[in-house]
Amino acid sequence: MVKRSKKAKTMRKLIKSIWIFNWFNSCGFAELVPVVGSRWDMERFGMIIVGTPRHADVLFIAGYQTIKSIKKAQRIYEQMAEPRVVIALGSCTMTGGMYWDSYNTIKRLDDYLPVNIYIPGCPPRPEAVFEACDKIFKHVKELE
Amino acid sequence: MDADVNKEKEVIEKINSKFKLKGDIQRKQRVWINIKKDKLLEISDWLKKESFIHLSSISVTDWLKDGVFEITYHLWSYKYKILITLKTKIDRDKPVIDSVVSIWDNNAQIHERELHELFGVNFTGNKDLESLFLDDWKGSPPFKKDFNWREYVKDEFYEKENERERPYYD
Amino acid sequence: MNSMKKKMKGRGPIMIDDIHPITENSNYDLYFGPAHPGSGNFGVKLKIDGEIVLSARADPGYLHRGFEKLMEYRVPIQNSVLSDRLCVLEPLNWNLVHAEAVDELMGIDVPERAKYIRVIMAELSRIQSHIIWYGVFSKGTGFDTGFKMAFGYRDYILDLFEMITGGRVYPAGYICPGGVRRDFPNDAEDKILKVLKKMNKMVKLEEIENPALNARAKDVGILKREDAIRLGATGPVLRASGMKTDVRKDEPYEVYDRFDFDIPVKKTGDAYARYNLGIEEIKQSINIIKQALKEIPEGEVIFEKFKKPKLNIKIPEGEVYVRNEVARGEAAIYMVSNGDSKPYRAKVRGPDFLHMIPVLEFLLRGSQIADVPAIYWSLNICPADMDR
Repeated sequence: MVKRSKKAKTMRKLIKSIWIFNWFNSCGFAELVPVVGSRWDMERFGMIIVGTPRHADVLFIAGYQTIKSIKKAQRIYEQMAEPRVVIALGSCTMTGGMYWDSYNTIKRLDDYLPVNIYIPGCPPRPEAVFEACDKIFKHVKELE
Repeated sequence: MDADVNKEKEVIEKINSKFKLKGDIQRKQRVWINIKKDKLLEISDWLKKESFIHLSSISVTDWLKDGVFEITYHLWSYKYKILITLKTKIDRDKPVIDSVVSIWDNNAQIHERELHELFGVNFTGNKDLESLFLDDWKGSPPFKKDFNWREYVKDEFYEKENERERPYYD
Repeated sequence: MNSMKKKMKGRGPIMIDDIHPITENSNYDLYFGPAHPGSGNFGVKLKIDGEIVLSARADPGYLHRGFEKLMEYRVPIQNSVLSDRLCVLEPLNWNLVHAEAVDELMGIDVPERAKYIRVIMAELSRIQSHIIWYGVFSKGTGFDTGFKMAFGYRDYILDLFEMITGGRVYPAGYICPGGVRRDFPNDAEDKILKVLKKMNKMVKLEEIENPALNARAKDVGILKREDAIRLGATGPVLRASGMKTDVRKDEPYEVYDRFDFDIPVKKTGDAYARYNLGIEEIKQSINIIKQALKEIPEGEVIFEKFKKPKLNIKIPEGEVYVRNEVARGEAAIYMVSNGDSKPYRAKVRGPDFLHMIPVLEFLLRGSQIADVPAIYWSLNICPADMDR
């Protein structure tokens, strides 16, 4: 019997299916909604969109955030129950992206929320989103 | 070119005979007129009754060297299919001008609210000039020419110790 | 059946006036904000009394980047890549507005083949945007099949964009000042015709009436013609209120004056009329693309000097105001130049700035809470265009 920490045990329960909270920012809207649609169907992997952060496991931050909207994203993150994962989509969350010299967008998401996985692209394709979810499953399986 | 601009010439004749202003025809369907700021309400009222009922937009240009703000009003008429632009100049240190809300209603009101926040222009007669996009912004109005964005972003958001951001400091 | 009627004879239906409220004061505030599953990236503050909305105040600014000043720090070839991100749901149409503004300031004659390609790409983008409108409006009012079907058919057009421009969502400045960046691949025209056949099939499916959607959309959010003009509405919202006007016919740009197409108009001005107007506009766009593909000439696709563009080409002094019809209404750019290589001032006028603040606040007053999503999504909103 492998001894695992309590956190690892709870995270392993996350493997079966992950539920996503619908915080679709502007650029993410055009590429995350097809992931829900019928061509790249995400329900076959057990992922659905829920309406309240209390039910969700994963928060997708897709695209740039302004000072006004990062405050709301932090409130939403506080309301999610453990275990929880943050996935950052797009190049605007890593370095500021195309709006690197704008006075109202934030440049590094890591300063405001703890990020688990980054997905590069502008915007990233739906296949990249599925590959990132697959990496979460592997990362969780190998946790100590 | 001459045959096409008959309607524009007709409209310019009417404005010239009533207000003694010269209009400039840039190409077909575009007329540009310079006016003084105290005649703004009178001319706008006359133009609206003359079928220029659609206010397309209001814009402010900041001429730093001359020390003026130039305000432009773009009006479209569905009947004549011509766009008239009115241009006025106001002082940059104390930017005050009459509001056209009494003529073009909520359409003008929302444009003036945005320009008040971004440029600092005061529109007398507009009752609702609360801030629209930014909350808790305490600096100077952000779209003026003397507010350098790249310096501001370097101070606020980037750090010297971070490896990736070193090129911005060289 | 008759025995059941006898038992219920003494009791008719319960009217809302018969229900006594629990508290005396039933006023409260509700923030219909960005985290609500029925709204976009935009907040509306509602004051409610029981079930009726007394007043609404819009709360924009969740996506404000300061576009107009960002354009002052970049040269036109860099701005053309930035201009697709003005509204993420219709990037090629906004590309075209910016390219036309710079073309007119510099006095460039765009080659004929490039004009036809620009029209074909703009109309494909308009079809794709109206499909999103249909899908999102169905989701907001509870018709989930429409949502899944719409986003399934939209992917055919995104595959075409990827083949021609290189990007599914953002075409990386394909329509640039001087023409378009590269020519169609060899088999593009056949593939476009195949996709148009699928679009015809989709329009037939969209016209099937759903009773639940009709009950939620008929006579809801009525906008009369005088109010629409007074509040600054343009595009499909104005055409659904009875005014026959379209920038493509009033001041034709590119080669729109050579095509034969119609402008659909509805008279009632409610949410049902706006939603049906979108479906009819898709048919007209399919018509335009077919005519353009028959008449397209051979030749160059970009102005000679811009084939290998240098970064500091000077823009001559002057000012220009360019109007176009994007999928949501009337879009305009006012560009001023003082002889430098970067624009001195670029003011962007989008249709959603007027639809989402004055028109929405006017329509929500006096409506019921249950109608708020139907009114909100029937105006075809794009918050990125409003905040810029």
